[in-house]
Amino acid sequence: MNSTEFIETPQWSLSPWLGYEHPFLSVNSEIIIHTWIIMFLLGLALTIINCVLTKTKIGRFIVLHGVAFFIDLTTQSLGHFVFNHCVFAASLFFFIALCNIASIIPWLDEPTRDINTALSVGIISFLYVQIYSIKTQGLGKYIGALFKPFFIMFPLNVIGKLSSIISSSFRLFGNIFGGSIITKLYFTAIQTSLLTQLFGIFSGFNILIVLFFTLFEGLLQAFVFAMLTLTFLSLGASDESSH
Amino acid sequence: MYDSSQFLHYATIASTIIANSISVGIGQGLTSFSAIQSINRQPQAKNDIIRVSIIGMTLIETVAILAVLIAIILIVNTSEEATYYTHLSEIGIACALCLTGFVVGLVSALPAQAATHAIARQPHYAQKIFAFMLMTQVLIQTPIISAFIVSWFIQVQSASTVVISDCLRLIASGLCVGIGSIGPTIGLSLFAKAAIQGIGTNPRSYNKLLSFTFISEAIIETPIIFCLIIAVALLFIVQKPLDQSPIEGVIFIASALCLGFGTLGPGISSGKTGAAACTQISYNPESASILSRTSMLAQGLIETVVIYALLLSLLMILFK
Repeated sequence: MNSTEFIETPQWSLSPWLGYEHPFLSVNSEIIIHTWIIMFLLGLALTIINCVLTKTKIGRFIVLHGVAFFIDLTTQSLGHFVFNHCVFAASLFFFIALCNIASIIPWLDEPTRDINTALSVGIISFLYVQIYSIKTQGLGKYIGALFKPFFIMFPLNVIGKLSSIISSSFRLFGNIFGGSIITKLYFTAIQTSLLTQLFGIFSGFNILIVLFFTLFEGLLQAFVFAMLTLTFLSLGASDESSH
Repeated sequence: MYDSSQFLHYATIASTIIANSISVGIGQGLTSFSAIQSINRQPQAKNDIIRVSIIGMTLIETVAILAVLIAIILIVNTSEEATYYTHLSEIGIACALCLTGFVVGLVSALPAQAATHAIARQPHYAQKIFAFMLMTQVLIQTPIISAFIVSWFIQVQSASTVVISDCLRLIASGLCVGIGSIGPTIGLSLFAKAAIQGIGTNPRSYNKLLSFTFISEAIIETPIIFCLIIAVALLFIVQKPLDQSPIEGVIFIASALCLGFGTLGPGISSGKTGAAACTQISYNPESASILSRTSMLAQGLIETVVIYALLLSLLMILFK
């Protein structure tokens, strides 16, 4: 077994006739294609739900329950209902959840297995939270809060704010990456002989591994990501009420 | 012919088995002890308590099974051409599996003990307590699975080591996972114990505790994921050192120790914060939202310390 096959990825680099090559200008082609497929599938599914499912009674019941779940989540973590935050958290949840469990769809890999996807989602969430807190507090108060106890604390406060990007995106990336390594190791180990393959199929071990490491971990991490974004938003809101 | 490096090879196998079997034995003993205590207190719930304790002991046993698997791989793959450096880099496997397995086997008895006591207190909610214990114990098993992956990769790569700093790179990768998972594992089990005790105190707080537990355990186990990232980076991303001087290997060991000891305090204190919030939610389910929000913010601030350690060790590895 070649041990480096888990992290090697195909690359698109900038056209060589420009005469300039840099690692920052090259793109991981597989991840980009898979992300676009997932976005297309998500759009298709939501369109079908909107146009077809809500016309039937049972479908409307299910959709209403789903919406009520997100409204409850927002109300619980923010203290009051804000429409924009609810929509933002729900869209983050759906996108990340489908990215995490993408490997159950044939020919697809999880885009969140790559650090770039996780970092971009983390930066989007960070910018949303910071812009919201600047809007509610005002720019002067926002910058003043960075110098809060003493002016010497400024770099520490800035690092503390930026560290939320790293913690949220590395948590997402590490969990999904570890889970995908485990599933790949298991399936390479099981394909060595016919006996182990039959054992894996008939004992239900294959399904158990996929259920836990793909579905459970993926949905849990997406839920945690959305919840933490809402929690950081509530921190920005509580600053406003305390002053 | 007698070779002193063979000693390292067999010492790795033996220490892996010894550390894991001691901890699994103690953990299973504690679980069955509290099961007997609970049956003594509430004889009507005998069947539920026995079922919960047996499932709990089976989950604790996972640690020993994974250790035996790695030991068998090590014994089967013993080749004649193995050099001194191959055996030296197998110390990394001992570091990863012994430290992690010892702690996980001991502390994953805490949620099982709490579950048996909780069922003795609330026999009608046995099904919910059982589901809760299953979920938290599976999450506590995360570090032993990551240690297993890292040990496997160390075993694959150890055959091709030719210089001392390459051996130190593999040892550092195992050390990072081993030391780094001690604190967060203790934190996870303290949290799980408090959550299950909370259900035993007030079963009506089950729904509030469930969603809080999912999020809080994901936050507490983040340092373990950081350790896994650094270990995988040490295994695959850094350039393999080729010269005989050990200085690059010393840098790798230093970065592993930096993150490993950096997670020790934050892991335990984050778990204690969440445990306190769980206890208060069980007393006071109406104010669950403000309690869980405050606890999550505190845990996020505690986690900042781990991120400093992560950044330092990444910088040490990448700009050496």
